[in-house]
Amino acid sequence: MDVVTSQTIGVEVNGTTYEREVEARRLLIHLLRDDLDLTGSHIGCDTGNCGACSVILDRTLVKSCMVLAIQADGASIETVEGLAGEEQLTPLQQAFSDHHALQCGYCTPGMLMSATALLRENPKPSDEEIAKAIQGNICRCTGYWNIFEAIKAASE
Amino acid sequence: MQLLRPESVEAAAAALGNGSVALAGGTDLVPMLRDRLVSAETLVELKEVVPRGVEGTRIGAGTTLAELEVDPEIPAALREACALAASPQLRSMGTIGGNLLQATRCWYWRLDFPCFLHGGSRCHAREGAHREHAIFGNERCASAHPSDPAAALLALGARVRTSRRELGLEELYRLPTEDDRNVTALEPGELILELDVPRPEASVYLKAMDRARWAFPLVGVAAARFADGVRLALAGVAPIPWRLDSETDLDRATPLPGTAYKVELARPLIRRALHSVT
Repeated sequence: MDVVTSQTIGVEVNGTTYEREVEARRLLIHLLRDDLDLTGSHIGCDTGNCGACSVILDRTLVKSCMVLAIQADGASIETVEGLAGEEQLTPLQQAFSDHHALQCGYCTPGMLMSATALLRENPKPSDEEIAKAIQGNICRCTGYWNIFEAIKAASE
Repeated sequence: MQLLRPESVEAAAAALGNGSVALAGGTDLVPMLRDRLVSAETLVELKEVVPRGVEGTRIGAGTTLAELEVDPEIPAALREACALAASPQLRSMGTIGGNLLQATRCWYWRLDFPCFLHGGSRCHAREGAHREHAIFGNERCASAHPSDPAAALLALGARVRTSRRELGLEELYRLPTEDDRNVTALEPGELILELDVPRPEASVYLKAMDRARWAFPLVGVAAARFADGVRLALAGVAPIPWRLDSETDLDRATPLPGTAYKVELARPLIRRALHSVT
């Protein structure tokens, strides 16, 4: 049985492999933001409520403030930085831009990851399925309608 | 804090206790660690040792709520309870075993007041703010059990296989007493491994909450019809998931001034649930 206080973990983030020594108590969001300098994923509430820190961990949408970094050892992670190519936004990101689906922009990385996870599983979601997919993401500008429209547009 | 990755249930169970805490999905534990409600020298990761997946009537304790909410083979009440719990991101990490053992949302407890559940002498919620609190079993501690799936599994008459024994879900939970403030009968180092969930003829889970999504139950009602009758169980009404024989049992509720509305909220939900399964 392995016993470790801090350990070297390996994660693949947006196609790049990183090895870092992390303390057992370190949250995944802090690994991403502070150790890997991937500050696109935001910390809104730090209590698992707001969804701004949503990332895709081994093809599963999670809130990275509720996951310990060591739980992600060996995993493949996608963050908002991994969505667009060098010059090209994804159709979903373009739809967010076209439909003014962001106001302050703070919730946007999480919304994009939740919607990306949805469209990957279900390219033609119903209105209800779109609403359900962003249940765990809070937009305090209350711009939900444009976000919904953008996801719908990207699915068509 | 350190992490342990045991290779067997036996090794995991042996490693628990004495400052060690079990880690499954982490969605309940991680915030409690951060808020220092739980202190652990060692986390014992269960992912590799606790069964995951559905096989016939058996559900591995490591199965996530996200897996259960789309599983056509499990009873509707459990599927619906899982779908109505938390948010998609948390359901994809949180396990059914962990969900059954999740801690109360009572803010006095969460803010570490020296309340009855924390070993103190009084329940601050009884005298203080308690809108979300209990209407049954609330004499010493008025906290409300937050698990939707637990109520569904209770109505379904689920049995629990642990690393030491098999017991009915009703025996898993206990009201806290002077001598023992725990709300479950699990012993130190005892792990939930598997659930056995009987197949009802029909079942349903209905939930009243402050908003339509991503909220804990004010009242959750599970009903399951079997050949010998309907079983009812409620979430959010007592410190533990609560069985009722019928709607008239609501007359025996002991609501606090701020929770009396829950009795009236439960009544039509029970009627609708019974109507739905019969």
